[in-house]
Amino acid sequence: MEHYVAPLKHWTVAMRINHWAMAISIFVLIATGFLIAYPVTISKGETWLKFSVGEIRFWHLFFGVLLTFLFIWRLYLAFFSRFHADWKDLFAFLNIKDLIHQIKFYLLIEKEGPPHRGLYGPMQSLAYLGLFGLIFLIIITGLILMGAGYHAGITAFIYSILKPVERLLGGLAMVRYIHHVLTWCFVLFIVVHVYMAFWYDAVLKEGTLSSMVSGYMFKKEGH
Amino acid sequence: MDDYRKYVSKHYNRLLEQCKVRLDEVEREYPEPREDFQALLKARGISRRSFLKWTGVMTTALMLPPIFKPMVARAAENFSRIPVIWLHFAECTGCSEAILRSSYPNVDDILLETISLEYHETLMAAAGYQAEKCLEEAMEHFAGKYVCVIEGAIPRGLNGQYLRLGPKGETGLALGKRVVSKAAMTISLGACAVWGGIPAASPNPTDCVGASKALGVSTVNIAGCPPNEVNFVGTLLHFIMFGSMPPRDGEGRPLWAYGKRVHDFCERRPHYDAGEFVEEWGDEGAKKGWCLYKVGCKGPYTFANCPHLRFNDHMSWPVMAGHGCIGCTERGFWDTMAPYEKPIQEAAIGGGERTIDNIGIILTAATAAGVAAHGVYTAIRKKDKNQEEQKQEERE
Repeated sequence: MEHYVAPLKHWTVAMRINHWAMAISIFVLIATGFLIAYPVTISKGETWLKFSVGEIRFWHLFFGVLLTFLFIWRLYLAFFSRFHADWKDLFAFLNIKDLIHQIKFYLLIEKEGPPHRGLYGPMQSLAYLGLFGLIFLIIITGLILMGAGYHAGITAFIYSILKPVERLLGGLAMVRYIHHVLTWCFVLFIVVHVYMAFWYDAVLKEGTLSSMVSGYMFKKEGH
Repeated sequence: MDDYRKYVSKHYNRLLEQCKVRLDEVEREYPEPREDFQALLKARGISRRSFLKWTGVMTTALMLPPIFKPMVARAAENFSRIPVIWLHFAECTGCSEAILRSSYPNVDDILLETISLEYHETLMAAAGYQAEKCLEEAMEHFAGKYVCVIEGAIPRGLNGQYLRLGPKGETGLALGKRVVSKAAMTISLGACAVWGGIPAASPNPTDCVGASKALGVSTVNIAGCPPNEVNFVGTLLHFIMFGSMPPRDGEGRPLWAYGKRVHDFCERRPHYDAGEFVEEWGDEGAKKGWCLYKVGCKGPYTFANCPHLRFNDHMSWPVMAGHGCIGCTERGFWDTMAPYEKPIQEAAIGGGERTIDNIGIILTAATAAGVAAHGVYTAIRKKDKNQEEQKQEERE
């Protein structure tokens, strides 16, 4: 391959594991979440032999707690990763000139995007920071909803801390509603995120798509 | 564990002592009971056994250990000593109705019959200036001792002029402030008095709010539309026994009554976990008494003791009767709990049939269409570019 130089390390192992674990958790959470919002009636069989909604809620809570820990891990990596603590890259959108250039590139007005300055482009950093905000909010509302139903251990302890937040948001019903609205934000994020990954892979040909598995990106010689 | 038990027994013994001191004080300071409670119970055919059972139930409801049963009985005997001033504002009088009416007299009803109502706009015989005089006298005579019960939201719009009461046409806001200022304890009874309830539902042209917010005082909030009589009687008993408000949650509701979620103590809960739901009214599931979540039960978001205590002589409650909970004990009741016969996520946004799921589906479809168009355009541009390059190469 004469056009390409040696692959560049782009994502650490921790970042890749974190990414895919989060992706799986979020997919499971969206699926089980909608099944909790619109539970399926199972008419046949004895009541005491069935536990479908109970099981779905269990897995929803399981992956919810997993997502909480993954999010804490991701924040740790953002600040204290030994290879590339990327918290500064997440503020790439503050470069307004680059941001406008990037939007023009995405709208197919410009032929070339702004130069790569960090791990993320300006729009990308905005999207990921937004995603972090979304995850934070959905975890908080989720922990409130979990605490309302389980009155023991660390769950109860967290619930007692979050009780004022519940009041602030206007009661459990509103917390539940906000949780549902945030789910749709995740769905929208996934659609755009997956498309952009494919698009970059097709347009720039730098191996964006496979980089989240292998960890390496490729750079064209001319750049 | 032994230390824990010692601590607990020490704590409750101290509480019991406090309670005794307080009851002595009540018997000394407050006027004599109007009627002999034990004689009244006998006259109404309530046996001693039934009364003792009631004290047991009440002690448990108040989340006190059994050693407090004699104290509850003593408090019940002194119940009619406590002067009560009962104010009505923007409401339907349903809370009074719910508390006063029942098919046969039980101990709670007899207690509420003997309650020393100094002023109650619906029940008193006096009218006009005479009624006003009753209020003035009660406020003067029992200053700092009486319990003020507020029923109904208080309109603040036009400086409170949406609600005028009495012969002098005093605004509800002014009357409330005047009466509450001299009360030993203020009880907000019912959803309207607690958060404004239906009078405060959107668009709320009269700017109704709950009593606590309108009058700027801390109240015991007996939420519900209507609230359970046991919660009201229990709060008064607690006041007699301890001379203070019961421990309250963040919303000002007594913890002993509103500390648990309806969903967790619902008799239909096993059907929820088993995935057995009523899909529409009168279907097979409804006949079998399955979970009402899909027809809009708000039990999962509501803190109340309805499943334990029930209504109408503890006979039934909404979920038992076959309609979901409507969340009437919760903040912002009416607006936040709508729609009542659909799950909460199917609330209409900005009127009509627009729900968050409809908006979500449309936005997702639009985004998908947008990225597809973007992809197609990118491909076309690429093709053009390739063709141009080819042409250039050919030229060269």
